[in-house]
Amino acid sequence: MTTTTAPPPTTAPDPGEVATAGFWRRNRVWFYVGIALAVALALSARVSQGDQEFSAPLDPQNPDPDGAQALAQVLEDEGVDVTIVRTADALHDAEVGRRTTVLVTGSDQLAPSTTRRLRDDAGSAEIVLVEPPPYVLSEIQDDVEPAHASDETTGDCADDRFDGLELAVDAATGYDTPDGCFPSNDGFVLAQGPGATTYFGAGEALSNDQVLRGDNAAVALRLLGGHDRLVWYLPTYDDAADDEAVSLWTFAPSWLEPALWLTFFATIALIWWRGRRLGRLATEPLPVVVRAVETTRSRGRMYRRADDRPYAGGALRAAARRRLADHLRLGRGASESEVITAVAHHLGRPEEAIGALLAHHAPVPGSDHGLVQLAQELTQLDREVRRG
Amino acid sequence: MVISGRVPLLLLLGVVAVVLRPSAGTVVLWLLAVALFVGADLLLAPSSGSVGLHRRPPGTVRLGDPAESALTVANDGGRTLRLEVRDAWQPTAGATGNRHRVSLPGGERRVLRTALRPWRRGDLRAFGVTVRSWGPLHLAAKQRTYDVPGSVRSLPPFESRKHLPSRLAQLRELDGRAAVRIRGAGTEFDSLREYVRGDDVRSIDWRASARTPHVVVRTWQPERDRRVVLVLDTSRTAAGRVGGTGDQGGMPRLDAAMDAALLLAALASRAGDRVDFVAGDRRVRARLRAAGARDIAARLQESMADLEPTIVEADWDTLAGAVQGFGKQRALVVLLTPVEPSAVQQGLLPVLPTLTRHHRVVLASVRDPELNRLADERGTVDEVYDAAAAEQELRRREWTADVLHRLGVHVVDADAERLPPALADHYLALKAQGLL
Repeated sequence: MTTTTAPPPTTAPDPGEVATAGFWRRNRVWFYVGIALAVALALSARVSQGDQEFSAPLDPQNPDPDGAQALAQVLEDEGVDVTIVRTADALHDAEVGRRTTVLVTGSDQLAPSTTRRLRDDAGSAEIVLVEPPPYVLSEIQDDVEPAHASDETTGDCADDRFDGLELAVDAATGYDTPDGCFPSNDGFVLAQGPGATTYFGAGEALSNDQVLRGDNAAVALRLLGGHDRLVWYLPTYDDAADDEAVSLWTFAPSWLEPALWLTFFATIALIWWRGRRLGRLATEPLPVVVRAVETTRSRGRMYRRADDRPYAGGALRAAARRRLADHLRLGRGASESEVITAVAHHLGRPEEAIGALLAHHAPVPGSDHGLVQLAQELTQLDREVRRG
Repeated sequence: MVISGRVPLLLLLGVVAVVLRPSAGTVVLWLLAVALFVGADLLLAPSSGSVGLHRRPPGTVRLGDPAESALTVANDGGRTLRLEVRDAWQPTAGATGNRHRVSLPGGERRVLRTALRPWRRGDLRAFGVTVRSWGPLHLAAKQRTYDVPGSVRSLPPFESRKHLPSRLAQLRELDGRAAVRIRGAGTEFDSLREYVRGDDVRSIDWRASARTPHVVVRTWQPERDRRVVLVLDTSRTAAGRVGGTGDQGGMPRLDAAMDAALLLAALASRAGDRVDFVAGDRRVRARLRAAGARDIAARLQESMADLEPTIVEADWDTLAGAVQGFGKQRALVVLLTPVEPSAVQQGLLPVLPTLTRHHRVVLASVRDPELNRLADERGTVDEVYDAAAAEQELRRREWTADVLHRLGVHVVDADAERLPPALADHYLALKAQGLL
């Protein structure tokens, strides 16, 4: 194919290119809308990412009303070294000495193993657990129950740091330990646990929103600013050991698992029972199915594939001539011209017109459409002759 | 080995035990216990080897009529057998309710009946008898399949029987009781009787009238004791399906040809002619000499029952030889084969002269109405090309029929439903003209 010449350069654009350009022009608006949407989505994702990073309540980096950024800032300003720790490993690495306070907010995410690690890592340091739930309490001390406490309590206790101060929150929790401050009902809102552990049941008092209410700020600063260093620990479930996950299975009755096993075996037996046939499937020796017209149809398809219009047209014309000759009682041996003359005479039409339809040597239609037209005209002619 | 539905139920019952004593050990113990019971039941189940199976042949029925398969189960051993028996047949035998449960004490026998309703022509065969022998707890069973041969013969339906009464009436009109007869070479003198108004004056016997005071006419009876030979082509051209729509619609040409042959045979035997029958393709597949038999249609049905079209070209030399083998006497030879141009030109035409020399030959062909429909439909390009092919085919057929006609063969070409009466009418016309 070395003789192939390059196509002559043309000024007319390629039809494909035209179609592509048209597509762009027609859908330009949607294209811009799409881009704008994508940009807006990316921006909002970026903005909300900064917001949502520390959205937990009483998070020292959360400036929202339920955050505790204000308290953390004030403590820093007062000269307390505030270290924020978000994992158990980081807590382990943090330098926790005797002159350190470990504050735990969000203590509901303390798993048993995390609690143990916390107590080990804290060592002799003072631990302040904010609103510990019962399952955390039971890890630390037996027979301590949290109970609802009154909203406003006064620090009526031996510790002169809190004596005379008033704690005011919307909801507080008391703990029935033997010793503590801010007594309410049967327990203390600021309860003394074993060792240097303190339970603080009024976490709201530390929040940005409520820290200025009553003597909350004073309570918070005196509670947390007692030492030079404050390690603010925010535990997560991610630090829990693998086997501590609580699943649905834990609540299931103990007989469920063996019962499921039995059901499994019963299902296998059921499949065996239903799956075994009573003897083989009965088969039928089937005969060959051939449509009688199959060969004729395939011959038609062959003509079509070969585009043999002259042959097909000839066959249709010959059949029409034969039928017309029969109808006009010309006999089998009637010649082509006799048939044409007889038909023209019968219908009162010029012989040339009939000849153009019926004659064997009449022009062959040049297209498939012409062939269909010829076939239909022949049918029409046949019908007219029968009617007339 | 087979288990029953009681096994999964028994396993599920273990849930109660597990609730009472929830541990994996309970599950294992329960499984072991169930397995023990099932195993013991299987060991205790008697072998079905001591079962004697015997089948009474269900015989012959017309297609679509009910039949019955009777299977005798005998317990030759001493123990009671609890059996489940399946009497399997090929699907077209239409076996319903073929699963039987039977408790058989030692030494007894029982007949298990399975209703059959064949919906295909031919010999429909039994597939095998499967026997399940259950243990005393009905938990497990031994299963074996035995081959107990048997078949039900389903005869061609003879749909065209409905045309027989009217054709017999026409036959009686040919008879001497009506004196309107055409005097021909083959008609035979019957009797003389008094003239009544309406009789053909040409049949007045003047010589006899002169001797009596009345005018006397001669009566004639149609010729009797002629021979009719039916030749049924079972080659590839008989396999084509005609009529109906879709792949499974309609029926093979062979079945339509059988119908026509049955009607003609029934009519000819009533008219006092002898009917012989031969069917084949490359070789003769069925042959029947039915000289003087009264129930010719039934015997023909019997011999046609197991004929199936084969995908080979017919060997007309063999078939013509079989026709000659029936005797030298002049006969009406009816060839039941389609006017398929190529098959006729290459196979039939060379042997036709030997047949036409001795016999009167009629060719009965099952036409395919689809071909004419194809020639008439001219809506799209595909249809026009198909129409051209169909017209071409029709022309070739016409031409072939012409050639046959010139060789002295009469062609009866009709649709599947119209062929039997058309062939019968042609036979009656020949008989009326005394041309047999």
